[in-house]
Amino acid sequence: MVSQLKVGEKGKIVDISHVGHLVQRRLLDLGFTEGTEVCVKCVMPFGGPIMIESCGQCIGIRRKEADRIEVERL
Amino acid sequence: MEVALIGNPNTGKTSLFNNLTGSYEYVGNWSGVTVEKKVGLFKNNIGRLIDLPGVYTLNPLSKDEGVVTSFFLNDSVDKLLNILDASQLERNLHLTIQLLEYGRPLFIGLNMMDVAENRGIHIDVKMLSALLGVTIVPVVARSGKGCEELIQAIDTPTIEGSGKNLIYYGKEIEEAISMVEKEIHGNTKHSLRWLALQWFEGNQYVNEYLLKIAHREKLESIRHTLEIKIKQQKKGKSLASFIYLKRKEAIGKILDEAVRKSDATTPLTEKVDAIVTNRFLGMPIFLLLMYCMFMLTFDWLGTPLSDGLDHILTGPITDGFEKILSNIGASEFIHALIIHGLVAGVGGVLVFVPQIFILFFFISLLEDSGYMARVALVMDRIMESVGLNGKAFIPMMIGFGCNVPGIMAARTIETPRERLLTILLTPLMSCSARLPVYALFVGGFFIGHKALIVLSLYVLGIVVALILAKVFSSTLLKSEASLFVIELPPYRMPQFQSLWRSTWDKGKGFIRKAGTFIFAGSVFIWLLSYAGPDGLKVNMDKSYLAAIGNSIAPLLKPIGFGTWQAAASLITGFLAKESIISTMNIIYFVPKGESLQGLLAHYYTPLAAYSFMVFILLYIPCLATTATIYKETGSKKWTSFAILYALVIAYILSFVIYQGGRLFGLV
Repeated sequence: MVSQLKVGEKGKIVDISHVGHLVQRRLLDLGFTEGTEVCVKCVMPFGGPIMIESCGQCIGIRRKEADRIEVERL
Repeated sequence: MEVALIGNPNTGKTSLFNNLTGSYEYVGNWSGVTVEKKVGLFKNNIGRLIDLPGVYTLNPLSKDEGVVTSFFLNDSVDKLLNILDASQLERNLHLTIQLLEYGRPLFIGLNMMDVAENRGIHIDVKMLSALLGVTIVPVVARSGKGCEELIQAIDTPTIEGSGKNLIYYGKEIEEAISMVEKEIHGNTKHSLRWLALQWFEGNQYVNEYLLKIAHREKLESIRHTLEIKIKQQKKGKSLASFIYLKRKEAIGKILDEAVRKSDATTPLTEKVDAIVTNRFLGMPIFLLLMYCMFMLTFDWLGTPLSDGLDHILTGPITDGFEKILSNIGASEFIHALIIHGLVAGVGGVLVFVPQIFILFFFISLLEDSGYMARVALVMDRIMESVGLNGKAFIPMMIGFGCNVPGIMAARTIETPRERLLTILLTPLMSCSARLPVYALFVGGFFIGHKALIVLSLYVLGIVVALILAKVFSSTLLKSEASLFVIELPPYRMPQFQSLWRSTWDKGKGFIRKAGTFIFAGSVFIWLLSYAGPDGLKVNMDKSYLAAIGNSIAPLLKPIGFGTWQAAASLITGFLAKESIISTMNIIYFVPKGESLQGLLAHYYTPLAAYSFMVFILLYIPCLATTATIYKETGSKKWTSFAILYALVIAYILSFVIYQGGRLFGLV
């Protein structure tokens, strides 16, 4: 899961099919899909959103969505 | 010739628009700053350029993105100009492919080559151009470099739709496309292939369009058969994601040939982000920035400037008018109208121009630098707990400048429920037009703590909005659906020129209002105060205005300001909040050598003054805001709701503050 990566750790997305439909669409739009390498940049306190980066592109997603994105630690 | 400018959010689209057209629009950096369709003339008059909101795909999620799709379906455009961010080519090309399928002549402006080079991405522009079959011109949207070449390229005649079949989607889809094409052939002027593909992807706008021109059952049976085939063959993949993957594959092949990668340097953005979106520092840094913004606006810089302007207006300018009027032998009526009506009313509002420009300058700075999106990220946790998402904070921040663009900015929020909630609550954000009222009262009653008192009002607005969001989202607007995915664009050093122009664009509305709305309102209010049941030139306490004010005043007594003057100024405040000030300047006519602030001490206690400011903050959205709420929600019910709940909340809070304060022995 993306949410299990620590700040600075990298992973490769394996499965995003468990993420909500709308969020999944938006992730695709932003180029985040199966096979994308991501790096966790920062984690907001109190269960707040997570900032992840891929190819120089940063996005913020909620923790509960990050819980549903399966990654393979690199 | 009509050319549409289209591209992903944060690709420099609006900057390019400004450089191509010469006329200046608004430049921002958070996703979706262009919320309205804007049209400009090309610099050398080859035609008109239409600026569309930034989108990632033509299949829309939010209303903002829907603007683009319905434009493509319903308007006619001669050529398309696609701006690409060279450092994010893969993602940008998904849109380009859909544009090629749309079939109109396409041109590409390739922006941010320098950012790409720094990241170690080297693009062979000639090769890319050949692979896509499109003219590509490298540009620097911020400085305007390459714009001449781009205009020249657009101006040369082109052959239509060369890239429609750039991607082969596999036998099943291609067959289904031909079947759909047969069904709708002859009924539309749009590219049939584009319509079919968008429809397969689940584009709602295209769906509605197709149902108008073709048989529903036939079309749906084609799609249904196709969906089953794809599911069987591709291990349960949906049709939409299959199309997405085909495009991704094709883009990958193009990029393999046209792009070379090498080692990259760590961008400065990431270092800055490590601080401003830090776990613990993020929120304090945001509050500190807000505090500095208010101190500069009200204490350090804004107040001295406003005072200086006030001296000029009440001194030399009033004297000048007096001299001219007595020289031309104006009648007493005209004399009183100009000095006591216009100069007092309009001048009283103009005094606050410096403070308002400083505030707008900071809002522009936050937008242009890319910090706004970070604020949304930092605030999301709080917003989520009240049933909103972090993106709703951006319309609210813009609402600090003016509620009208704030409400329009809510279009970028994807889910209808969260969008409606944001629209309803944005009027609680203290806009710049309310600022003169605070400035006047804090100057008169809270000299030692000006910025702090004003900041408390801004915070109160936010807190009330958050509480009401929680209340509304757990009663009136219940729903689970919430979506928060936000793009965080890299920081960009704001350019002074662009900042100044966007400050001016926002601020000029305030000056224009002073010259029209406030001007006319001042004349009207002055007339009402000059005339009464007993004729003209009555004692002001016996004027029509006093009569109207007196009928409402008893209602206001429990909240601390039951005078006819307060009631009258509140009524005019619905037209525009700053007309409260111009009305007060007229009805508390200030003798020479004294100030309105000094005079107010006879009518208000400090506690009543605070209660009054709270009431002004919340009591009603102004006329322009009400009209915008109606336009955006399309519902009379929600518009009246926005007005009514505000009145109720304002009355309750002022009552609690005033009566509670008295209980604690405050006056």
